[in-house]
Amino acid sequence: MLELAIGIILGCCALGAGSAMIAGIGPGIGEGNAVAAACEAIGRQPESRSSVTTTMLMGCAVAETTGLYALVIAILLIFVAPGMFVNLLMSTIS
Amino acid sequence: MSKIDETVKRESVYIAAFVGVLSVLMQAVFLVAGRWDYTVLCGNLLSAAAAVGNFFLMGLTVQKALGKGEKEAADTMRLSQRLRLLLLFVVVAVGAAAPCFHTLAVIIPLFFPRVAIAVRPLMDKRNKNGDGKEGEGK
Repeated sequence: MLELAIGIILGCCALGAGSAMIAGIGPGIGEGNAVAAACEAIGRQPESRSSVTTTMLMGCAVAETTGLYALVIAILLIFVAPGMFVNLLMSTIS
Repeated sequence: MSKIDETVKRESVYIAAFVGVLSVLMQAVFLVAGRWDYTVLCGNLLSAAAAVGNFFLMGLTVQKALGKGEKEAADTMRLSQRLRLLLLFVVVAVGAAAPCFHTLAVIIPLFFPRVAIAVRPLMDKRNKNGDGKEGEGK
C-alpha cells in the first residue's frame, strides 16, 4: 500500500512537471511572430535595424521569462516536491 | 563565422553587468541571513553564466534570423527557443540534483535578465535627463 502511495506521488509530480512545460511552447511561438514582424519592419525601413533589434531583444527576453517560470515549476516538481511529499506521507503514517 | 552585431554585443554586456550586480546583492542577502556557504556561490555562478549565455544565444539567433525571410525567421526563432529552454533545463536540473549547488541560488539568477530589462527604461530616462541638463548648461 505504501509503495502504491509513493508511486502515485511520483507519478503526479511527473505529470505536473510535464503539464507545466506546456507553457514553454508559448514563448517560442510569440518570439517567432515578433521576429517575423521585425523582418518585415526592417525590410520597409532598413535604417531602423539597430533600434528594432534592441527593442526585439528586450521583448524576446521578457517573453522568455514565462517559459522560465514553467521550467522552474517543473524542476521543483521533479527534484524537490517528491521528497517533500514522501516525507510528509511517512510522518503522517508514523 | 559571422561577425557579432554591435547591438547584440552592447545588450549582452548590459545584461551581464546587471546580472553581476544582482548576483553580488544576492550573495550579500544570503550572507546577512546567515545561510551563505560555497554551494550558494557555485549555484550563483552556474546560473548567472546560464542566464547571460541564454540571452547572448538569443541575440545571435535574432541577428541570424533578421537576414532571412519572415517564415524562415519565425521557424529559426522557435527552434532556438526550444533548444535554449532544453539547455536551461539541463543546467537547472544539474544545479538541483548536484549537492555542490544550492537550489535556490541556482533558480533565482535565471530571472535577473528580466529585472535588468524592467529597470532599463528607468536608466534610459535618467541618462536622457542627464544629457538634457548638460545641454541646458551649455
